[in-house]
Amino acid sequence: MNFMVQTLGTAGATMVVGLIGVMALVAVNALFLIWMERKVSAHMQLRPGPMEVGWHGAIQTIADAIKLMGKELITPEEVDRPIFWLAPIVIFLPVLLSFLVIPFSASWIIRDMNVGIVLILAFSTLAVLSILMAGWSSNNKYAVLGAIRSVAQNVAYEIPLLITVMSIILMVGSFKLTDIVAAQERLWFVLLQPVAFILYIICATAETNRAPFDIPEAESELVAGFHTEYSGMRFALFFLAEYTNMFICSAIAAVLFLGGWHGPILPGVVWFLIKVYFVIFLMMWFRWTFPRTRFDQLITFAWKILIPLAFANLLITALVLKLR
Amino acid sequence: MFERGLEEKTFWLNLGPQHPSTHGVLRVLLEMDGEYIVTAEPVIGYGHRGHEHMAENRNYQQFLPNMGRVDYLHALAFNQGYCMAVEKLMGIKVPERAEYIRVITAEMNRLTSHFLWVGAYLMDLGAFTPFLYCFDDREHLLDLLDRITGSRLTYCFYRFGGVPVDLDEEFIAGTRAFIKRLRSRWPDYDNLVTKNIIFIKRTKDVGVITKEQCVQYGLTGPMVRGSGIAYDIRKSEPYSAYPEFDFEIPIGDNGDVYDRYIVRIREMEQSLRIMEQALNKLPEGPIMAEKVPKRLKPAAGEVYQAVETARGEFGCYIVSQGDIKPYRIKLRVPSFANLSILPEASVDNLVADVVAILGSIDVVVPEVDR
Amino acid sequence: MLSEKIQKALAPLNLEKVAAGDYSKTGYHLEAAAQPGQMPAVAQALLDTGCFLESLTAVDSSRESFTLVYHFANFYELCRTVVHAPLAKPAAAPTISHIYAGADWYEREVYDLYGIRFAGHPNLKRLLLPEDADFHPLLKDFGATQENV
Repeated sequence: MNFMVQTLGTAGATMVVGLIGVMALVAVNALFLIWMERKVSAHMQLRPGPMEVGWHGAIQTIADAIKLMGKELITPEEVDRPIFWLAPIVIFLPVLLSFLVIPFSASWIIRDMNVGIVLILAFSTLAVLSILMAGWSSNNKYAVLGAIRSVAQNVAYEIPLLITVMSIILMVGSFKLTDIVAAQERLWFVLLQPVAFILYIICATAETNRAPFDIPEAESELVAGFHTEYSGMRFALFFLAEYTNMFICSAIAAVLFLGGWHGPILPGVVWFLIKVYFVIFLMMWFRWTFPRTRFDQLITFAWKILIPLAFANLLITALVLKLR
Repeated sequence: MFERGLEEKTFWLNLGPQHPSTHGVLRVLLEMDGEYIVTAEPVIGYGHRGHEHMAENRNYQQFLPNMGRVDYLHALAFNQGYCMAVEKLMGIKVPERAEYIRVITAEMNRLTSHFLWVGAYLMDLGAFTPFLYCFDDREHLLDLLDRITGSRLTYCFYRFGGVPVDLDEEFIAGTRAFIKRLRSRWPDYDNLVTKNIIFIKRTKDVGVITKEQCVQYGLTGPMVRGSGIAYDIRKSEPYSAYPEFDFEIPIGDNGDVYDRYIVRIREMEQSLRIMEQALNKLPEGPIMAEKVPKRLKPAAGEVYQAVETARGEFGCYIVSQGDIKPYRIKLRVPSFANLSILPEASVDNLVADVVAILGSIDVVVPEVDR
Repeated sequence: MLSEKIQKALAPLNLEKVAAGDYSKTGYHLEAAAQPGQMPAVAQALLDTGCFLESLTAVDSSRESFTLVYHFANFYELCRTVVHAPLAKPAAAPTISHIYAGADWYEREVYDLYGIRFAGHPNLKRLLLPEDADFHPLLKDFGATQENV
């Protein structure tokens, strides 16, 4: 540690330690989330879920990960190789980088940038690029259809998402995530901005391509959508990215609406994680109870309902702030 | 990417033969304009086993086990149709208790078939959980049927002249308990599925089938009932012990996918009613007709016997030339006619709707292919 | 009564036979016999009375001829009409797929299994068997007819 501080300076050392920590967190989080999803879905479906490997199947996902790593990486004949290989990496990088600015507690933050929220939103937009890359390079009609759907969906849902976030930023007057959390010390924004919270959760579900908005990979229509042709660890990377993305979306929800690390007795990090996993549980709940929406209904919903609602919410927020 | 060149507006998409929502080896060749369907052509025959040809090379008893393999989801109705056709040909009279047992087991089998349909259909629409709810309930029925018929799927339970095994007390008690249990479960299904806004949006006004189309294509079963035609062989051409029970034929009014779903759900409740009444009125007596010849050799002639399966009308057409083997057996299966409307019903719809429409037809591919 | 209505509708077509059937024995309320050439007219007459095509099949009845068997039924009233149409080999019959859309697949199936051609059918190709099959399995002289399989 001392050596690192000497050579890199304090900020650099935090970066390195932070990145290693993030890597570990991403891996552990994905393992945990997959297990959690299985258990949540199982108990909603009157069955126990994985029970064999470890306590209540706790290390089942590790076994699955090892299996996936051992699988052959199939590259179909007609694919556009460089893009096909790059897509799973591209989907993973922005997700990883978003962790840089997430405040786990008042002090547990790798880099407290003053444009934190903008950075995360910018990076999350990059995910759609890799979906498009995967879909296009696969040279498969199902994959292309999935990618096209994904782009349309992401464009449609990014707008209400940004506008919703704007209304919170108006209240705080800062893009800095730590400032946003600090502003909620007494009152969580979910109580001041319930409509914004609901809008955010809907948009976040759509952003992470999860049911009922999982149309880019709608398995009953498009087989597996954009990752139809992927196998082995490349497929696992898409999977990993999806779950990490879920974590980030939920973390932002916790930061923006649920008061971040604030909470009695327990340390801030614990509170933060509890809130994050609560939002994740909400998203899992949606997934295992709703049927899938249809593509055109989904887009109509975004443009005709969500965006006007988000604008109205922003205007009312601005008005209230002005009049106060 | 699309071989026909970018200036061409349409492209071809193969839905199947291996595809999550074609439920078996059905292939639908779609010509698409973006996500919209221009033409759809079902390609069938992947599961063709030549049952009708087999029939001509075996005697009447030997063909009986084949019936459970035609429509594996409602095997007992096919058993029943074939047995009744042969009984008509031979002039065998089935004892009343046997008819009751046939009705009870056939209705249970109809329930299992509808359960599987509801579950699989919602999975087509992207909801996974109802599938396991349905399978949970279905499992109880399978256990009961397993107890008396000895199998869980491809039943071969009815014999010419009756049934081989009588119902025991445990079966009757178990069935009564199941009826009670299922009735308490309807609100769950309503809350989880029927009242779900996404489900309603996905199914209302999708895949509308008119009464004229029903006549044109010779559709039967929930397909016509969803379009508002109260055509159910159990009522319109009563057979077995059905005239003795009080039940209704649920019908829809729009003929869309939602109506077909509702019709099936309501039909399940009617099946429960039939089972309940049959258990209450179950007469005493023999379960097998006396003097059924070991060697069936019907006189020359032909017979057409229709029964209502979970998917519609199964017609068993037998031509006999006075031999121990049938001269010709034609199995008029409901899914075959019902599937033939798919090209017309899916044009100008989204690919997601085609999956919904195809699911609502409730095809059992081995039944289409025979 | 529907069966009288159908009999009346079929009367001008001069069919070989139109008679009431023995329902308890055969399941038919009305039995008719016609030449294959008359079938489009018969189908049209039955469609006008509101009947639907229940099934369409063939029987390889002898060395010289097939019999086409058409079953019609009605959604609102119980009345099953069967029409037998003997067809000399080698066989071609006019299609009724322009009258009943459902007959399209039935005729393809009959073509597939018996090799009977339907003149005027828009898309007469194999349905159940592979496209390149060179046999018609329900013909009585087709291969695997062993004794007591």
